Amino acid sequence: MNRHAALLVAFAFFVALLSPLETAAAVLTDSLKPSVAVFVPENLSGKPAPLKVLRESLIRDVASIGISILDDASLERFMLRHRVRYTGGIDGDSALALKTEEKIDAVLISSVTLYDESSPPKLSVIARLVSTGERPAIMWMGSASVSGDDSRGILGIGLITDPVELREKVVGSLVRSLAVQLSGEKAEAKPTKGRYRPKIFYQSDSFSPGTGYAVAVAPFLNFSDRKYAGDIIVLHFIEELLKNGFDVVEPGVLRQKLLNMRIIMNEGITLKDADVISLGLNADLVLAGKVNDYEDYTGPEGSPRVDFSVLIIEKMTKKVLWSSKSYNRGDDGVFFFDRGKVSTADRLATYMTSAIVEKISQPGVEVEGEPGLGELPFSPRRTE
Amino acid sequence: MVAVLMSISACASPGAGEKYRDDKMDFGAIKNVAIMPFVNLSRDQSAADRVRDVFVTALLASGGVYVIPTGEVARGVGLAAIQNPTAPSTAEVIKLGPILKADAVVTGVVREYGELRSGSATANVVSLSLQMFEAQSGRLVWSTSTTKGGVGIMDRLLGGGGDPMNGVTEKAIKDLVTQFYE
Repeated sequence: MNRHAALLVAFAFFVALLSPLETAAAVLTDSLKPSVAVFVPENLSGKPAPLKVLRESLIRDVASIGISILDDASLERFMLRHRVRYTGGIDGDSALALKTEEKIDAVLISSVTLYDESSPPKLSVIARLVSTGERPAIMWMGSASVSGDDSRGILGIGLITDPVELREKVVGSLVRSLAVQLSGEKAEAKPTKGRYRPKIFYQSDSFSPGTGYAVAVAPFLNFSDRKYAGDIIVLHFIEELLKNGFDVVEPGVLRQKLLNMRIIMNEGITLKDADVISLGLNADLVLAGKVNDYEDYTGPEGSPRVDFSVLIIEKMTKKVLWSSKSYNRGDDGVFFFDRGKVSTADRLATYMTSAIVEKISQPGVEVEGEPGLGELPFSPRRTE
Repeated sequence: MVAVLMSISACASPGAGEKYRDDKMDFGAIKNVAIMPFVNLSRDQSAADRVRDVFVTALLASGGVYVIPTGEVARGVGLAAIQNPTAPSTAEVIKLGPILKADAVVTGVVREYGELRSGSATANVVSLSLQMFEAQSGRLVWSTSTTKGGVGIMDRLLGGGGDPMNGVTEKAIKDLVTQFYE
């Protein structure tokens, strides 16, 4: 009996030693392992970031789950041959060329949205796997945002002060999520807390919430002091829409379309722009918006702040189906010892966009009594 | 008597603003509204955009009218060749209406937006006024104003800085939308 107990403890110890990354890799069969080209990460942090080192970490961890990676020399030759300079997305022509010329199944595109080496270090990365071929489609998308003091623990034993350790944690988290997706498992979605819901929102009567829509996420106007804040919010919306089962247009394809049509949105999306985008890319809905605030903080004290508004225009009616205003701080709802505090604007944006997409994707959401609308002398329109 | 009246008026609520409403206007006929960029008289450079952003969403959320997207309004302003979109002339409003298929055009002025100091106490304050023009005739049919926030008795006694800026803005906008439906 004692021997059995000892064997059980030994087995449990062995399982604990086996990292989740290796467990996920073990369940990946050969048919699920695509050959992948890893693009140099796009830097949306607004500061210098070690992109090459991050790419090397990504390549190492992605290769460890059994995915074959296109070698650097071949990728560089391809980029030169096709004059590909933008690595934050992939357009249709480049995706097709990668498929036919390099026999690559997918491209791993990543964006660094926060990089801060000062103590405690902070790092946020959003990555996605996009299929190659005639119509690039996003196969997986995930984000990881970590601050060194997220799990400080008793006497600071959980504090991470080494940016390298933090990088490994972020990359590990992303690759685990990728492995889970490729193995066919479905990640468990947690409902977003009420405090991250939009403060004011409008939902048209003619809008039937659900997930059967093809969505194009147009560039957001950025009125914040943070460079690339609009691009970051766009990526978060794409991630959340995909998680909730929407068919989302690859942003690289949309970017190419906007460039080809010479569309510049200086003061927000027009109905003509929405028409061009939805017809050209076969999207049912066009999501656009603007960012008013996107602030991170340096050091241990402070609170991030995010403020944006969103608009969804439908292809058929050319009407606004959804409009909302969201704003939050990282310490919203935090009262004791920073418990529940959100340490990065990136994670805050994840919660806020997730709350909006939850409302768009679930029918019959009750809106009366929502914060910000409760005292109005009228009932806002809603779909039951 | 004058002193009593003056002291009463000094104690008036900061939300009380001046109002005008054209009695001959059928406000129920207004279905589509174009909200023009607001004039910014505050120190915060982005105040007008922030307040307009909240107002557009709140008016849409009221369910009574459809608000034309701001990007579309900017396109209309370009097509109508309006020199100053924050203060269009009667002729320009009449020209803009059919382009945007709008029944009414709203302009606004952000008079104050930010922190207000009174002695050692500080609090956020928002003060703005709105004007609505009928698109067909270009005449003014509704004008109102509101002020929310500011240093109250509790702020003086306990400090704390008052409500956050977004909360004060939302209160002011809610007040204006409520006035529109009254």
